[in-house]
Parts: sequence; structure tokens; C-alpha cells
Amino acid sequence: MKGLLRTDWIGLLVLVLAGGAALAAARPEFLTAYNIDVILVSFCLTVVYALGQGVMIAIGHMNLALGATGCLVAVAFGGVLEVWHLPLALAIGFGLLLGVACGFVNGWLTYRTGLTSFIITLATLSIFKGAALGITQAQPFYGIPAAVKAFGSDRWGPLPEMLLVALPIVIVIAVFFGRMVVGRQLLAYGGNPHAAELSGIPASRVVILAHTLSGVLAAVAGMLSVARLQNATPSIGDEWLIASFAAPVIGGAVLTGGHLPVIGTCLGVLVVALINQALVMLAVDPFYVQVLLGLLILGAVGLNRLREVRLGTAPAVRLS
Amino acid sequence: MSDAFVVVSEASKAFVGVQALDRVNLSVGRGQIHALLGENGAGKSTLIKILTGVHQPDAGEVRLDGRPVRFRNPREAIGAGIGAVHQERNLITRFSIAENITLENPPRRFGMFDAAAAANATAKWLKLLGLELNPGTPVVRLSVAQMQLVEIAKALSLESRFLVLDEPTSSLTPHETRALFTVLRRLAQDGVAILFVSHKLEEVFELCSHVTVLRDGRNACASQPLAGLTRGDIVRLMIGREEAVFAAAPPASLGAAPALELRGVATALGHRDISLAVRGGEILGLYGLVGAGRSELARAVIGAARITGGEVLVQGRRARIRDVTAAVRRFGIGYVSEDRKGEGLILQLSVATNIAAAIWHRLARLLGFLTRRMQDAAATPFVRALDIRTPSLAQRVANLSGGNQQKVSVAKWLAAKSRILIVDEPTVGIDIRSKAFLHELLLRLARDGTAVLLISSDMPELIALADRIAVMKEFQVIDSFDNTRDYAAASARIMQAIHG
Repeated sequence: MKGLLRTDWIGLLVLVLAGGAALAAARPEFLTAYNIDVILVSFCLTVVYALGQGVMIAIGHMNLALGATGCLVAVAFGGVLEVWHLPLALAIGFGLLLGVACGFVNGWLTYRTGLTSFIITLATLSIFKGAALGITQAQPFYGIPAAVKAFGSDRWGPLPEMLLVALPIVIVIAVFFGRMVVGRQLLAYGGNPHAAELSGIPASRVVILAHTLSGVLAAVAGMLSVARLQNATPSIGDEWLIASFAAPVIGGAVLTGGHLPVIGTCLGVLVVALINQALVMLAVDPFYVQVLLGLLILGAVGLNRLREVRLGTAPAVRLS
Repeated sequence: MSDAFVVVSEASKAFVGVQALDRVNLSVGRGQIHALLGENGAGKSTLIKILTGVHQPDAGEVRLDGRPVRFRNPREAIGAGIGAVHQERNLITRFSIAENITLENPPRRFGMFDAAAAANATAKWLKLLGLELNPGTPVVRLSVAQMQLVEIAKALSLESRFLVLDEPTSSLTPHETRALFTVLRRLAQDGVAILFVSHKLEEVFELCSHVTVLRDGRNACASQPLAGLTRGDIVRLMIGREEAVFAAAPPASLGAAPALELRGVATALGHRDISLAVRGGEILGLYGLVGAGRSELARAVIGAARITGGEVLVQGRRARIRDVTAAVRRFGIGYVSEDRKGEGLILQLSVATNIAAAIWHRLARLLGFLTRRMQDAAATPFVRALDIRTPSLAQRVANLSGGNQQKVSVAKWLAAKSRILIVDEPTVGIDIRSKAFLHELLLRLARDGTAVLLISSDMPELIALADRIAVMKEFQVIDSFDNTRDYAAASARIMQAIHG
């Protein structure tokens, strides 16, 4: 029981379940298949890019170009399918490679210049987004193969097929950071960069690897968006930024690095999806959804901090 | 007998504007425990960083087992069999003890971290150092002393042929230190070359056979046998003159009411029934082993932890100190933290900013904004009075030596005109010259009317300075008495209180 209380996500799970139950009680139509489907589809997409940001948060960096990378990959993916008629497998490979390239550039620049990832990815955000808009002239690619469209809309009973991508990614990331030596080295670097280097963990490798991983996850999320929207529009990725930070932070991640709660992030994604859905059902002005999301981030951070102080895993106060 | 294993010859290293090392020599033989001494800023850390691959020398060379080596990064040094305990804390606090200790070379199965194997490999080293802890415990729950022991275990676990220990005993109790020394002697017998850095000369004489002293980046002596040298010789080599000795006179007059008084105080951190009083003009020394709750008590007094019972009186009046800001501004309490680098100072900011930080609200009151000139004007007298060695007021505090950093943290509270000063382990990791200066400073402050609460684990320091001594154990005050400055009597009474 004590061990369970120490986990980051138990409170969140209770929150998600209680929130869901309350909503179901207030609005019985919440439990319709349609609603659950909306939440699940949103989960599949959001969890991928939230983990893309989570990987960055784990080493104490951030990727503001996450959405721009997803966008560039999405339109490139749609473009090679429509214009070059590339086979699907090759197009996916191309999209992933482009994600690798974007992430690598972010990581390499951050490492080489010694600037913060905030500045570097702010610049590449503009570059990637501009490139995507330039390629498409701001027009979507509609020539998406039926297989891709089907993947985005087909259901397996109540479950969207996109879970076939999202779930393995969640598991791989959880194992990567929880068990794999390379993932632990990333967390070690995030927890104390100086100590990690003195222990022979090269900063260059950590920074470039984490950024590249973030780029790949953004690429996957970009291509999932194409499947879900049934076209490759250059507005993909525009609304990712807040949720990409909100989910890991609600899940218990600390922005200074060293910790990536994967289950917590998943629950964080659910919380965000649930709230979005709840507010739609309660007919709240969608603009205020953002206000609530912001408040939620503040509340989540506050709660986490309180829990850490109580458990003595963080200093009660920082002095001076 | 012991042939040279690590040889540094004519090594030089300059940083922007500072010649940190100037043609330095060092030779450590197999099985030799070699002391590397010098004041803060003498170049010890730079030399260590060259040996461990953090820095590369501008000139000169390092030979390992006869072959010239040039480490481009710490990884290469580790690969060559060099293990190190660095002065600063280098643990990943969210990781377990076992994972920290095996961080250089984690046991893996199919690319996965093998926690069970790591725990097994770790247990042996923990036991060797007398640490009875579960290797799976996250480091964040350990005390400072335990963390230091974990770092030592980490260095030992590399089974290096050359071991560098930079101030490994700074937070350890005498008991823990003895256990460490036993291990080190055994390693030396097995042929490991050890470079040992400490400010505690007693330890050096007890443990080491050879000594290299650095002063201002140069050799004051290189690889001499320690036998035949006295403590005085070493100090002379380190500071270029005799050690200043002072005798504290008892206070002439004391304030009538205590400046700070605790009556039966209990805190959320676990203190019970703490009663203490410090009057203006005197130094109250607070002794206790690491973990006795002294720093935690200081935190409660300055409003950083909740007081749950009893009462606190400041200048004779009941005080409810809600937070640190109130402690500083309304009640005039200054706190010089034990964790100088983490809490006491803002390392990336200038000397002037650090000194003026606690009085910004006062400086800026007129126009609501602050100019650099106002700040410099406020800081200058204290830089002079405390003889802070800095090229300019704009110098980053991170670039000062430990002793000068500590002077800056004291200067901050002098600038804030604190009437009550709580000083926590003020001379840990500080060179002899600055230490003597800080001692005189604390005494002068007290005699000028400040109430000083001195928390120190350095018994000679405590007995030399304190007018009265209180002993803490397990978050309670178990004894308090007037200090006659008779070392034998006072130390016996303290040990009796703690162990008797």
C-alpha cells in the first residue's frame, strides 16, 4: 500500500475514474460508444506527441518544434504519396527518416552551440513550419491511399486501430526509460548532467539521442494525424504545444529533468481528453477549454509538489 | 618499494585570465596514499580534473604506468582505471543507491539494466564502508553523510588502480572516517595508488605517507615523504606563513533579554521540546552528529519549516515567523546555509548582487528600481571589511574560492544588518587562512552585539568560539553548558552527552 502511494500516478488514476464517473452520472450520454471513441482516438494521437515532449523533459530540455516537425513530416508524407506515388512502406520510412533528421538537427545544434534547446527549437520551429507551408502552399494533400485512411477510421470492436501504433510506443518508451541502460543514462543526465558526464556518460550522445527520439515521435504523430484527418493539411501540429507539456506535467514530470512518468503521462493525456470532451458535452465555450487546461497544469504541479514534500523526496523550501 | 604509477610533469593549465596550474609536478607510487594539499584556489581541483579527464593540460604531460596519456573526457580516464570522488555532489538523486554506484558500468542483460545484479555488486561496497542500507533505496532519502559514503562506494566499485579522493570526509563522522581509512589502507596494500585531498590535517597525518602541496597554482613541495614534516611545516607550505592562532575572550557585556529564545519548541520536522536562548554579544554553539536535527532546527527558526508547538521569542517578544522573508526583514535573522553552493549563494551572479540580494527591497524602495551602482555602493564596504578576494564586484561568485564564497554569504547578512545570525557549518571545505578569518569575524560580530547561533561539527572550532554549548541528539537538546574553552573538559562533556 505504501509503495502504491509512492507512485506518481495513483492519484491521477483516481481523478480520471472519478471524473469519468461524475461525468457519466451528470450526462448519461457520456458513456455512448461515440464519446468513448472520440476520447480513445484523441488519446492515440496525443500520447505519441506527449511522449515526444516527455523525452525532452526527461533530459531537462524542451522541443518547441515538436508540432512543426509533425507538420513537416505529415505534409511530406502526404506529398510523396500523392505526387511521387511512393509505396506506402517507403513513404512511412521516409516520414520517419525526416523525423530523425529534424530531431538530429535540433540535438546537434543544441549540443554544439551550448545554447538552450528553447532557443534552438524556437528557431527550427519557424524553419520547419515555414518549409511545410512552402511545400504545400498552405494547401492540403488529399491523395492519401485508402489503406492510410482506413487505418485512421477503422475500429476493432470499440477500439480504434491507431492503438496498434500508440500502445507499442507507450510500452517501448516505458521499458526504454524504466529498464534499458541507454534510457537510464538519459535520465541520469537529466537528473544531474555534471554527475552523468563524470560517470562517463557523454553529453553529446544523450542530447542528440533524446532530440532525435523526440523527432521520431513527432513524425509518428504527424503521420497518425494524416490517417485520422484523411488528408495531409499543414495545420497539423498547430495545437500540440500546450497538451504536449500538459500531459507529462500533469503526470508528474519535472521540467528540470531526470524523471519521465510514462503511465502518468498516459493518464495526463486522458485527463486532457476527458476535460475536452466534458466541456463539449456541457456546451462550454471552447475558448475557455484552454483556460481550464492552464489551471489544470497549475493544479497538477502544485499537487505533485505537495506530495513530494510530504514524502520527503523534495526539499520543503528552497532558501535564498 | 613503491614505483611511480602516476606521474604528472610540468603540467600547466590556464582558464580565461587565470593561470590555474603552472608547471606542476606530482608522482604517486603504487600502494602509496599521497596527500594533495593547498588552500582553496591553489589548483588542487584543476589538477584532479586533469587526472580524471575533465580538463586537458595546456602543457606538460601525465604518465600512467610509464605511458603518456591524454584523456579527452572522463570516460577515457575511467577506462584507464582511474576512479574519483569529486568534491561536489555527483549523484542522481532519483536513482537507487545501486544504480548510482554502477552508473559507470551498469550490469545489463539484453541491453536492460539488471537491478538485481547491481544490488548484489553494490552490497559488498556498502558493507565495507559500514553503510547498512538497502541498495534499492533512492539516494534522495539519504542523509548528506550517507550520500558521501555512496559516492565513495561508487569510486571503490570501479576497482581502479588509481583512486582520487577530493575531500571525501567533509560530511563524515569520526566513526565513518575511520571505516573509510581502514578500507583505503587495505586498498593501498593491494597496490592501489591513492591521491587524498583533505583540509583536515589530522587525517592527512594519520593516513598518508607522501605529500604534495600546491600554492597559487605552483608546487610548494612535490611528492615529499610526510615523515619528518610537522603540522606547522605543512601549514607554512600551504599559506607561506605561520598559522594565526587566536584566543577568544569571554564577552564583556550581554544584552539583557535573549535576542532569540526558543521555549519548548516542536516542529513539523520532528523536534521535541527544544529550549535555547542566545543573547546579543554571545555565540551559542550547537553540536551534534550529522542527522541530529541542527540544520533542520535552523530552518524551522527562519520560517522554512513549520513550528508546531512551544514559542519563539525574538528580542524578548513572542514572534510568529511565517516565512523566510519575514525572518529576514521583520526579525533580522540571517542564515548562512550549510549548503553554500546550493542554497547560500547564487553562483551565476556577481559578488555585488549576492551581497545586496537580501536588501534589494531596501535599496530599491525610493524609485522602485535598482541600478548596478546602488548595488555596488551597498556591497563595497563589506567586500573591504571581509577582505573578499575578487578581481571585481562584477565577478561571478562561482569563480571565487570556497573561502571567499563563504565570506560573501556572511557579507550578505551583514549588509542586511541581521541582529541574529545562524551560521551552519561555516568552515567546511574552507582553507586554513579563510577559516581563521571567519572565526575572527564571527567573534567580532558577536562582540559587536550580534547574537550568533553557530552550528558546527568541528569540535575544536566550536569549543574555541562558543560562549555556551548546546548538544543535540535525535532532534532534542540533551545538554547545554557554559563553555570555559577548556578543550579537554568541553569535549569530554559533549561526548558523554552523546554517547554516555
